[in-house]
Amino acid sequence: MNKWTKWTLPLLQPIGAIIVGLLAGAIGILIAGGSILETYAEMWKGAFGGMYFFTNTLSRATPIILIGLGAAFAFRAGFFNLGAEGQMVFGALAAALVGLYLPGPGWFVCIAALLAGVIAGGLWSVMAGYFDARFRVNLLISTLLLNYVAVLFAGYLVAYPLRDRSGSAAMAQSPMLDNSVWLPKLISGMPLHIGFVLAVLAALIIFVLLKRSVIGYEIRMLGGNPLFALYGGVKRGPMMIGAMFASGGLAGLGGAVEILGSQYRYIDGALSTANYAWTGIMAALLAGSHPIGTLIAAIFLAALQTGGMGVERNTEVPLEVGAIIQAVLILFISARFTYSFLKRRKENKSDGTAV
Amino acid sequence: MTRMLLQMDSITKKYGEFSANRGIDFSLRAGEVHAIVGENGAGKTTLMRILYGMEQPTSGTISLNGKAVSFASPLDAIQHGIGMVHQHFMLFPTFTVAENIVIGHEPGSGVRFDRKQAVSIVEELCETYGMKVDPEAVVSSTAPGVQQRVEILKVLYQGAEIIILDEPTGVLTPLEVKELLEAIKQLSKQGKSFILISHKLNEVLEVADRITVLRDGEVTGVVNKGEADAALLSRLMVGRELADLDRRPAQPGESVLEVSEVTIRGSKGKPVLDNVSLNVRAGEIVGVAGISGNGQSELLQVISGLASSDSGSIKLSGKDVTGMSTRSIREHGLAHIPEDRYVWGANRTATVADTGLMGHQRRLQRSGMLKLKEIRSLVSGWVQKFSIKTGSLDTSTQYLSGGNLQKLIVARELEQGTPFLIAAEPTRGVDIGAMETIHGELLKRREEGTGILLVSSELTEIIKLSDRILVMYEGRIAGELSVNEATEEKLGLLMAGGTLQ
Repeated sequence: MNKWTKWTLPLLQPIGAIIVGLLAGAIGILIAGGSILETYAEMWKGAFGGMYFFTNTLSRATPIILIGLGAAFAFRAGFFNLGAEGQMVFGALAAALVGLYLPGPGWFVCIAALLAGVIAGGLWSVMAGYFDARFRVNLLISTLLLNYVAVLFAGYLVAYPLRDRSGSAAMAQSPMLDNSVWLPKLISGMPLHIGFVLAVLAALIIFVLLKRSVIGYEIRMLGGNPLFALYGGVKRGPMMIGAMFASGGLAGLGGAVEILGSQYRYIDGALSTANYAWTGIMAALLAGSHPIGTLIAAIFLAALQTGGMGVERNTEVPLEVGAIIQAVLILFISARFTYSFLKRRKENKSDGTAV
Repeated sequence: MTRMLLQMDSITKKYGEFSANRGIDFSLRAGEVHAIVGENGAGKTTLMRILYGMEQPTSGTISLNGKAVSFASPLDAIQHGIGMVHQHFMLFPTFTVAENIVIGHEPGSGVRFDRKQAVSIVEELCETYGMKVDPEAVVSSTAPGVQQRVEILKVLYQGAEIIILDEPTGVLTPLEVKELLEAIKQLSKQGKSFILISHKLNEVLEVADRITVLRDGEVTGVVNKGEADAALLSRLMVGRELADLDRRPAQPGESVLEVSEVTIRGSKGKPVLDNVSLNVRAGEIVGVAGISGNGQSELLQVISGLASSDSGSIKLSGKDVTGMSTRSIREHGLAHIPEDRYVWGANRTATVADTGLMGHQRRLQRSGMLKLKEIRSLVSGWVQKFSIKTGSLDTSTQYLSGGNLQKLIVARELEQGTPFLIAAEPTRGVDIGAMETIHGELLKRREEGTGILLVSSELTEIIKLSDRILVMYEGRIAGELSVNEATEEKLGLLMAGGTLQ
């Protein structure tokens, strides 16, 4: 295989899926009675047209990138962590609590809040890993169900004990963070904050870690064939705890930067309705769990969402056109994904092992 | 001369610049057993894929009963009476024998499947062709030899007159091999024709009426029964004389492996390993013979830390390693050529370089980062030394042929440089040239003072390499022979549960 095909072959399926997605979107636009070209032009403008919209897209992509990287990391190690949502919510909640109640200078509180986000998300994820290792609770199921626990628990906290009673708004939300602990903006007047830089750095670090380090090698081998890894002396237990912590920690960081950089308070449901977690998992799947690919896919998916908003603002075509394209993408990507997952299950039935 | 049933004339198959087959002529008479031998990559499989309709030849013609034919698909070939039994069985493990045989042409009316009739059809087939199978047994619970018979019966049921057998004896025990060869002789007497692809020369010599030898996509010789011997065939296959192994008597030193009274109770009331004790000293090769499934796999897994024992202890170079992790055991001086290269020995989705790195990764690092340059030069050294055919070091492992992957694994484990080495089926599926290299390397390591535990289902390999031979039967060591007193007969007797008195 020459260099050219080596680089293009893995890209064929995602690009094909994107083209089919855009075609399906075009059908949706026709049904809604819009003009295809005009709608797609509006979508482009809503996502990338001008500095504000462009930085807005990147800002929306930031938590998606971090969550996607977390998912990709776990997938590469062969652990099917579907708990990104709960891990993100706990990361966000922990960041909000530290931001609200930890005394000290703003920069210090901000860093502490980010770390708290990583730790909260990481521990929530490790718990599922521990259940798998100790009690053989299937990781896929436990991570998925722990999402509900996290989201509802956080919702309870901001609806009752921590509820913001200062304003007149009747929303279940925590008080606003002091603006000294906010993440600085990258460009003043634009939505983009420094969290995006963290996300890009994280992608680069994970890329190098997986490709060049001993631990990264062992993670990849564990994900590719757990029995081969065992035979070669890779210890599954510590690897699993480490991979699950890193994975959940990244999701927690995603939640934390969203609180400290964009929302400045924990609002019940705000992270879930924006669908950051599942979009992040999708980005990882779209990119075949490649870290740089995940970064690009996350920006692309964020652009679909911000572009969809632009379409709704300026045309008669509803926001859902973006959702249609995304749905078709999921369909195409999950086809490949489920296939390889089932194949792996057939080969060796090791619990919690996937991709 | 009788008329040819099948005639393939100057078949050429090109993949881009590479010619897998170059002007190959091949013919088959009715009732003949025609073997094709050759090393890996000699073009045997390509030729058969063309005959079976899986590939189209670049040029050349095929005629059947004097009429020119071309097959667009295997289905086409089957309809013309050509059937193929693949190296890896294509059976549904959860279905019964009868269901597997009639699949595609099920008896019954409409959508109804008549199981009873299927069973009686299979019984009839068994009767006609003198092959015994239990039609109602579930395939997954039958032995490989039985599954092979099921494959052959399936092909016969589909109406095959020409049966292609691709490496049919790879997974069979010596007894099953004997039965298979008998069955082939029997069926050819009834007029069925066989094309037998193999690189086990003694089997080919026993059963084939004619032997075609391929090398590098060309025919290097066609010999009739009685005109050939193994030496001639291997010369034609390899293109040079094979050197005899240079083998000096062993000079065993200290014990490097001591297994004492290891027992695994197993789930079925019968112990999988029953009080097994053995030792391997530096500078000797200890062979373990036995029909597969008599505890050899479990023994190796216990030694290497992949499974745990219920009692007993294992010492490596005098140090007790019982119950340690695979990593600690490797660090105490164990290298391991595993029995199943896909299950244990490789990561199919990883690159060749990554699969070759396993076990060396903690050595070839600087502060946690892999020394990629050193790794690549190490692995490409193996690729040259063992002439491993791979596109590049970045090729995915799954694209290596079985023999080439085996060479990669052997190279990787030899390189660990440990005082003790497990070699389980070290030459399974590799060609004669590579087998010679691997055997040579194992003996060289023995000379250098490595203790080797060799497990193989090939008695010839065991006898050729071992200094002492242990025979396992039903989880126990049934006997020990020195290489001088060991013969295939004595070993076979012990393997079948007999005694030497």
